[in-house]
Formats: sequence, structure tokens, C-alpha cells
Amino acid sequence: MMPATLSLALPLALPLALLMTLPLAAINWHTLLFLLFAVVACACAVAVVLADNVVRMAFYLVLSLGATAGLFFLAGAEFLGAMQLMIYVGGTLVLLVFGVMLTAQSPFVAIKTSTGDRVLAGMVGAALLAVLLQSAFRVEAWQLPAVGAVTAPTATPLGMALLGVRVDAPAAGAPETAVRSGYLLPFEIVSVHLLVVLVGAAYLARAKRRRTPRAIDVAASSSSPPSSSSSGGVAATAREASSSSALVPGGRR
Amino acid sequence: MNHFPFVDGMQSAMGAVLAVGLIDSPVSVAHYLVVGAVLFTAGVVCMTVKRNALGVLMGIELVLNGANVNFVAFSSPYLRGEGAVSLGLDGQVIALFVILLAAAEAAVALAITLNFYNNHATVDIDRADDLKG
Amino acid sequence: MLLGLAWLAPLVSFVAILFFGPRMGPHGRNAAWVATAAIATSLVLSLAALGTWLVAHPVTAPVHDAHAAAVGHDAGHDAGHDAGHDAGHDAVAPSSADHGTHHESHGDHHAGRRPVAYAGDWYTLYHGGALTLSIGWYIDALTVLMFVVVTFIATCIHVYASGYMHDELHDVTDHEVHLSSGGHLHRPGRFSRFFQALSLFCFSMLGIVIAGNLAMVFIFWELVGICSWFLIGFYYERKTASTAANKAFIVNRVGDFGMLIGLMALWGALGTLHFADTTVAGPGDVAITRPGLFSLVRPAASGHALQVPDGMVKFAAADEVALIVVDHAERPHDGVSEIASRIDEWRDMGYGRWLLFIAGVGIFCGCVGKSAQFPLFVWLPDAMEGPTPVSALVHSATMVAAGVYLVGRFYPVLTPDVLLVIAVVGGITLFIAATIALVANDIKRVLAYSTVSQLGYMMLALGVGGWSAGLFHLVTHAFFKSLLFLCSGSVIHACHTNDMRKMGGLAKVMPWTAGTMLVGCLAIIGAGVPFVVGLSGYYSKDAILAQALSYSQANPSWSILYYAVAGGAFLTAFYMFRLWFMTFAGTPRDHHVADHAHESPAVMVAPLAVLAVLAVVAGWTLPGGFGLANLLEQARPAGTEASATGGFLFGTLTVPAEHESHAGAIHFMATMTAFTTAAAGVLLAAVMYLWRIVSPTVVAGIFRPIYTLFASRWYFDEIYHAIFVLPVLGIAHLASGFDRGIIDRIISGVAWTARQMAGIDSWIDRTLVDGLVDATAAATWTAGLELKKLQTGRLRQYVMFIVVGTVAIFVLASMLFRATLAG
Repeated sequence: MMPATLSLALPLALPLALLMTLPLAAINWHTLLFLLFAVVACACAVAVVLADNVVRMAFYLVLSLGATAGLFFLAGAEFLGAMQLMIYVGGTLVLLVFGVMLTAQSPFVAIKTSTGDRVLAGMVGAALLAVLLQSAFRVEAWQLPAVGAVTAPTATPLGMALLGVRVDAPAAGAPETAVRSGYLLPFEIVSVHLLVVLVGAAYLARAKRRRTPRAIDVAASSSSPPSSSSSGGVAATAREASSSSALVPGGRR
Repeated sequence: MNHFPFVDGMQSAMGAVLAVGLIDSPVSVAHYLVVGAVLFTAGVVCMTVKRNALGVLMGIELVLNGANVNFVAFSSPYLRGEGAVSLGLDGQVIALFVILLAAAEAAVALAITLNFYNNHATVDIDRADDLKG
Repeated sequence: MLLGLAWLAPLVSFVAILFFGPRMGPHGRNAAWVATAAIATSLVLSLAALGTWLVAHPVTAPVHDAHAAAVGHDAGHDAGHDAGHDAGHDAVAPSSADHGTHHESHGDHHAGRRPVAYAGDWYTLYHGGALTLSIGWYIDALTVLMFVVVTFIATCIHVYASGYMHDELHDVTDHEVHLSSGGHLHRPGRFSRFFQALSLFCFSMLGIVIAGNLAMVFIFWELVGICSWFLIGFYYERKTASTAANKAFIVNRVGDFGMLIGLMALWGALGTLHFADTTVAGPGDVAITRPGLFSLVRPAASGHALQVPDGMVKFAAADEVALIVVDHAERPHDGVSEIASRIDEWRDMGYGRWLLFIAGVGIFCGCVGKSAQFPLFVWLPDAMEGPTPVSALVHSATMVAAGVYLVGRFYPVLTPDVLLVIAVVGGITLFIAATIALVANDIKRVLAYSTVSQLGYMMLALGVGGWSAGLFHLVTHAFFKSLLFLCSGSVIHACHTNDMRKMGGLAKVMPWTAGTMLVGCLAIIGAGVPFVVGLSGYYSKDAILAQALSYSQANPSWSILYYAVAGGAFLTAFYMFRLWFMTFAGTPRDHHVADHAHESPAVMVAPLAVLAVLAVVAGWTLPGGFGLANLLEQARPAGTEASATGGFLFGTLTVPAEHESHAGAIHFMATMTAFTTAAAGVLLAAVMYLWRIVSPTVVAGIFRPIYTLFASRWYFDEIYHAIFVLPVLGIAHLASGFDRGIIDRIISGVAWTARQMAGIDSWIDRTLVDGLVDATAAATWTAGLELKKLQTGRLRQYVMFIVVGTVAIFVLASMLFRATLAG
């Protein structure tokens, strides 16, 4: 028993020992965690850009958005961070991954752009980044060290605000007489908007009675003999997946 | 203590970082803005470079996230500097709406992409130039 | 009033035919009835007026007995005085101041006599300052007589023409018109228009006769000219006819130019054109009498002797008048009285006599043109191109007589110098025309030249002082000349040719025509038993010869006038009987013509008979004194009974009083001369043409140069052509050439320039303006095409553009609003 506990405690003890050696008191843990999450988010974002394989791009995106959620938590917007994880990462990106799954045929998995395009895009991106960074560091007020106090959790105020009632304390530094509006109307609008999107997406993706076979079926049928030998399994899986997916019921007909 | 090289290295790195002052002072809004800028730029470049329609969608998500980071930074009570103005709850509400709308938009975009894929047997957006003049 | 209606009746006919002519019966046949009815109405009215006149002013025996004359004049004057009080008429009240005294000499007795005349105005057209233009009348015995004569002859000729012009009732083929296509002209008939023109002519002729002032005379003078132009050119498709019509009108115009000068002289110096005095209502209902021409020139104060009127004296002595006015500037009344007192002195010095002379000669120029005197007689022979009734009415009896009538009407104003000019012109005309008639072969030409010659007779008669002789001859000539023309028309109608050389021996075939024509020939030569009885021409010719003899005795230096008259009588007899013998006597020269000859229908022969009767009796004086000569005496202008002496241009002239020529010696001599010359002429004509003893061709050969001169009409036409026509044509060619060459070239040049400018403008428009617009459009198109390339349809590129744009905006904004961002 002693040796198992020791082996278990050793890896744990090592970092702890390391940690004990660090000047823990001087570390601003908020800043450290911020840096951690920031680096992950940025690196994964860059990785999304640099990756060729769309599946890997999807994975990196998930990581990036997860780190962004952490950033949200650190900034005091815990409700928002939770929503990010739930809606964005858990919903939107999953949807995106579904799309990737549906369309990840072998020729489309890794489409490369020409080098010239990429260089140009890189230059434009660099220019944009420069502009943004320059504007970020220009305003003095944004560079003052934070003196933030602990505030109440934001879930209730957010909910109340969405219902039209502002129960949160006025934001520090805002003018006392500023009118603080509720967000009932935008809430309703967004609700309708989501409904419309739901209906529209369902309509767009409905099963269509086709007189001519779908191009995808033609392409699949034409490419099935040569591809069946190499990645027949994958293709067949993809096809079956596509044909059996609920999103595209037309394939079954 | 046993000075393992790794631990020493870490200690020195930490010391260096500390010395630089990276992790001892509290972060300000500007730091968040930098992150937001990087996310935004990455998203834009992703939209520009990727030929896969889903890659473009991912770029869109990144852009929106970059904007969200900015909003949160501005609304955060923790990050507010001395005497600076913050958005307060408004910024978070905006960010919330952005998330919602991003989800809606992603759904519709995906539907369009899948339709395109079904009709043209490709997700290469470079092939979607029927609207060219 | 009666005469007014008589004057207007033909006008009504003219208007009626003008508007309804072609609809009057088939082809306008009834237009002849309308016109004839109108002129017959005029005749009836004229006769009624004559009757009224004679009742009021009985014609008495010739005034050789002083006592009887006084009685007669008394009666005449009283009756005239009573009859003169008609509503609306202004009577020229004769003075009876001198009837209480009896004088020995006729001249003194007649010193205060004035003719019985009525004058007045119907309608004043224009009254401005000194000028009054009005339509009015001046009626005396002469007027009434002329009315009767004109309407009577016109009626006869209307009847004659309704038969003669029957060709015009259907479509006419005019054989004398050759079309360019080679055939003859076919045209519809113009029957009604002929009578329309005849009616208008009658209206205008009667207007001249009744006119009360010279302006009205001039208006109707011109109107008569127009009618003559139309009637001569009735067959206007014939070049000869239209040319003749133009010639008549233009030559008349030349005369009218002189007439206008005369009118201006009269009006400018005297301020009035009325013959007789006019009474107008002045301010305060006081009747103001404006003296007329006769009173101005022959004032009652001087016993109606001719003298230069005050107005002309003042006009001529304008310098002196101005000096007086200036001298008496502060007392103008004294100036006026001084001028009045010196007028007689100026008159004696001779001021104003040139003006009076020019006035007279000017008016006479109009008569020269109208009555075809030398040198303006060239139109009358050519006027024979018109139909024969036209020749009979217009160019023998009436229109050409208008000139003589005007001289007779205007007689009181004519000075002895003017009268001498008239006489000389008449004499020359007489002689030239007679010589041309000697050798003419066209029957109408002979008669035309005969007319000219007889008009010369009348002018000469008037010029030597024979006022009543000349007018008497006018009346008788009207009768027998129209008779002669109608007879010749009948002959032409029968023979279808005018050439006498193709006629002969027609007396058997056309007895009525031959007989009446013989009467006419005898009348014109003045045949009669001397001192007993004679045809109408006998009396008038007699009177002329007598007066000419009297004048040549009074002015021996001008006795050539008498010899001209006598010689003229000889020539007249010769050529008239040459005509008759060639036409009616002997054997036919052309059997083709003779076979087709026939007597004319009754409608044409009846007027011949009527006129023949009148040609015989017109000169007779009935017992009791009624006769043409005595009727004319009633209208003798005041002051012309006595001999007149005067003249400054040609030496002192004496115009003897007319009744002195009735004295025995002169009368005897004149009658003998007339008889012997006429007999000699007839004898010679018979020798040459009836008995064919002497052949005319032989005689013509002997006198070849003279014959050629006569046959070529004294080359007048050629001379005028060279002097007047050719220069005018030359100028016309020059003007036409100038117009075509220079003016047209200028205009063409302007047009060419405009076209060039238009071309340039068009080029500018096309190249620059349109080019600009097109270039703009092309640029826009190209820009669009280029910009279209931006729409690649590629999503990534769009995103790139968005980003680049955003960055650019940021950069620009940061550069431009650096200060704002820093805050």
C-alpha cells in the first residue's frame, strides 16, 4: 500500500513541491489564469487558420471557444461564460461538426488554397491586427490596472434585464442619470428570430422530390468505383451517414 | 531541496515572467482587447483563406467570438480601471445576444451549405461563383 | 335725278352680269337682254331728261337777231331760273343784270351771259383742307345731249352685238390662236362677260359725261381705259389682241401722265377741281360759295373774259408775295390788301400765264391719249382686234369722243395758246391719219384711221374757236361712224375676212348693208345740196370749215389750218368711197368670198337702218329752232361768244367768235370749198375704183416712196418701238440679268454659305457633341464592364474587400481625426 500511495502521491507531490518553491504570494493568479486561457484561445485560433484538415479545424475551434469561455469567467461574466459553453460550444460548434461530418468527403476534407491567396490574406490580416492593436493600446483608460471589486453574480440581473427590469447596480463610472433600458424587446425579437431561423433552416433542408438525381448522388455514383477500393469504407460510411442523417432525409428516397 | 533541472527551469521561467511583470500586475481591458483582436483577425484570415465552406463558417464563429471578448472586457467590473467607464450589464447582454444570433446564423449557414453541397456536389466556395458579373 | 338714274343703270347691269352672268340662260344668253335692257332704260331716262330740259329751256333759233336773241335769252333765263329750284340742286343763277340795256355789238350783249347749268355733289368722298373729292354732276345742254347720244348708240350696238356675238354662246375654236401643240385653241364661250364689260363701259362713259369735277373725270377716264383694255383684248388668247390691249392702255397712260400734270397745276394753284361754283354751309349757317374753275378763270366781273386766275398769279409771283408778307409782318392785313391790289399789275406783267398754259396743255395731253391724236394715235388701229361692236361703240363713237368732250367741257379754261396747240395737233393728226387710210386694205383699219382723222377734225375745230362746231361734229360723227362700223361688221360677218381686196360686188348680195353704208359714207364726207339741205355731216363739216376760214383770216400766219381742213375733206371723200367701191361695187375679186356672202340677220340690220336715219337727220334744224346746233348753244361756256385775243407764246392770236363765221362771205366760201373738195374726192375714187380708168397699182407705183410711207403708217410703230420699247426691253433685260446674275447669285451664295455652315454645325454636332455623349456612354459602359470584374462571385474575395476597406477606413480616419482619437 505504501508504494501505491507513494507512486500516486509522487506525481502529485512533485508539482506541489514545485509550486511550493515558487513565490506564490507574488503571483496574481487572475493574471496567470488569464494568460493561460488567452494563450490557448489565440493559439487554437491560429491553429484553425493554419490547419488544412477541416476536422482538425473544427477541433481547434472547439478548444479556442472553450478557452474563450474561461476568459469570460475570469472577466466576471460567469453567466455568459456558461452560455458560451452551452450554446456556442455545445450547440453551434456541434452543429458545425455535424456539417463537417456530412461533407467530409475525401476530396473536400483538405482543400488547399493557392499560396498567393494565403500570403495576401496574411498580409491583410496582419494589417488588420496592427490597426486593432494600435487602437487597443491608444486609449489610456483601457490600460489602467484593474481595481475591480467583487460583484454579485450576474445571472439574476441578466435574467431580470431580459425581462425589462434593471436590478443591477449602475456600472461604475457611468453617469448617475443615465437611462438604463431593459432588454425585453430585443429578447422577444431574438426569440422570433430563432423561430424564423428554425423554420427557415428546416425548410431549406427539407426533403425535395427530385426528378433528376442529386448531384451528390451522381458524383457519389461516379466516384464510387475508384474510391471504393481506397477509402470505400470511409466513403460508404459517409454516404450511409449522409443517407441516413436526419438532416438530409432525401438521401434515403 | 533537490534542484531538478526541470524544476529549476520552471522556477527561472516563472521568475522571468514575474520579473517581466507579466503575471504580477492585474490585467486591464487592453489585454482582453488584444485577445479579442487576435481572435478577430484569425477569424477574418480564416474566412479569407479557407476554400471549404465550413472553414468559412468557422472563421465567422471566431470573428463573433472576438467581438464577444471585447464586449465582455468592456463590461467587466473587475477589469475596470481607476475612474474608467465600463459598460456594466449592457455589455454582457449584448454578448449574450451575439451568441444567440451566432447560433441562428450558423444554423442557417449550415443549411445553405448543405443545400449547396447537395446541388453541386462540392463545398468548395470557389465553385460558388454563379453570381459573378 | 333722271340723269343720275340713267348713269347708274348700266352699273346695275354690270354688277348683275358680273355675279350671275354665266347663269343667265344657256351660256349666259340672257346677259345680253339684261345689258340691253339696262342701257335701253338709260336711253329712256336720258330722253326723259332731254324732254325735261327742253321744256325748261326751249331751244330757240340761232342768235343772229339781237332783239330776238334778247327775248329768247330772257325767256330761257327765266325758265332756267324757275326750274333751277330743285331740292338738292345748286343752280348757277344766271345774271340778268344786263338785260335792261340793248347793245349794238353782239359781244357786249353777250358779255354777262352764262350758260344754263346745274351743278352739285352727291357724295363727298374726302374733304381735307383745300381738297374736296366728291362725286357730283355738272349738267347743261351738252351733258343731256351727250347722254342721249351715248345711250342711243350704245343701245343700238347692244342689240347688234347680241346677234354678232352669237359665236360666244358655245365653245369656240379660235383659228387665229396657234397652240404650241400645233392645233387651234378650244375654249368655252364668254358671251356674258362681253356684256358685262359693255355695261361697265357704258357706266364709266356716262360718268365722264356727267362729272362735275376733274377728279371724277379722271377716275372715270381710267375706268373707261380699263374697259377698253378688256374689250380690245376680249380674244385674249390671241397674241395680237392681248398686245393691242396693252398698247392701248399704255399709250393712254402716257397721255394721262400729262393730264395729271395739268390736274396738279390746277389744284395746286387754284385749290379746286370743280367746274362750277359749289356752295357749302360755313360756320354760322352762312352759305359760302367756293368758286369753281370756270368762275376763277372767267370771272363775272370782267365779263367772263379769259384771264389768268388770281390763284395762279399769286402762285407764279410767289417771291413777290413773300416779300410783301415780310414787309408787312406786323400788320398782315395790310399785306393781304396790298397783295390784292397788286394782283392785276402782276397779271399784266404776265405772271401765271405759263401755269394756265400748262394746265390747259396737260389736260389736253389726256385727250391726246384718249382720242388718239398725234403722237398717241398708234393704239387705235390696233384696237380693231376687238370684236366689231366694240370698235363701233368704244372706238368710234364714245370713248374716243371722251377726249373731245373734255376739251369741250374744259373750253373756258383754255387760253388761245392752248387752243392753237390743240388745233395744230388736230391738224397734224387729221392729215397723217387720212393719208394712211388712203392705202389701207383692211376695212376696219380704214375706218379706224378715219376715226382718228375725224377726231383730228374735231380737235382742230375746237382749237380754232369753233366750240359748237367741234361738238356738233362729235355728235354727228358718233352716229355715222358707228353706222359705218356696224356695216363693216356686217360685211365681215358675211365674208369672214377683213381684206377689201377680196371683196367686191357685194351690193347685190347685201342690199341693206350696202345702202346704209352708202348713207354713212355720204354723211362723213359732208354730202348735201349746198345751201339747201344736207346729211348730218354736211352741217358739221360746214361749220368747221367756216370757223377755220374765219380763224385763218384773223390769224393769217396760221392759215395752213384752213388748207389742212380742206385737204382733209378731199382725202376723206376719196378713201371713204374707195372703201365703198372696193367693197360693194364692181365685180367680185374673190369668188369664194362672194359665194358665201349673205345679208345679215334682222337683229343686225335693224340698228343699221336706225343709225342711217339718224345720220341723215341729225344735222337738220326744225322750224322753230330745235336742232342740235341750237341745243349746243345753250351750253356755250360763258365768255366764248366774243372773240378772244391773247396769247404770249405764239404771238398775239385772235380766236374769232363762232357766230361771226355764220356771216355770209365766210359761210359761202366754206360751203363751196366743202362741196368741191368732197365732189373731187368722190370723183377720183370713182375713177380709180369704180370705173377702173386709172389703176391704183399704177398710181402706187408712180408714187412708190410716198405709197410706202403711207402703207407703213408713217413708220410710227417702228419709231416708237425703237425709241421706247427697245430701251425698256433693254433695261428690263439688264434688270433681269442683274437680278439673275447678281441678286440671285448673292442669295444662292448666302444659301450655299448657310449649307456649309449647316454642314459644319452638323459635323460639330455629330463629332463633338454626339462624340462627347457617346464617349460618356462608352466610358460609363467600359467603367461598368471593368467594375463588373469586381463581382467575381467568390466569397473569399468579398471578405478580403471588406477587410481591406475597413482597414483603409480606420487608417484614413486615424490620419484625419488624429486629434479626436487622441482624446
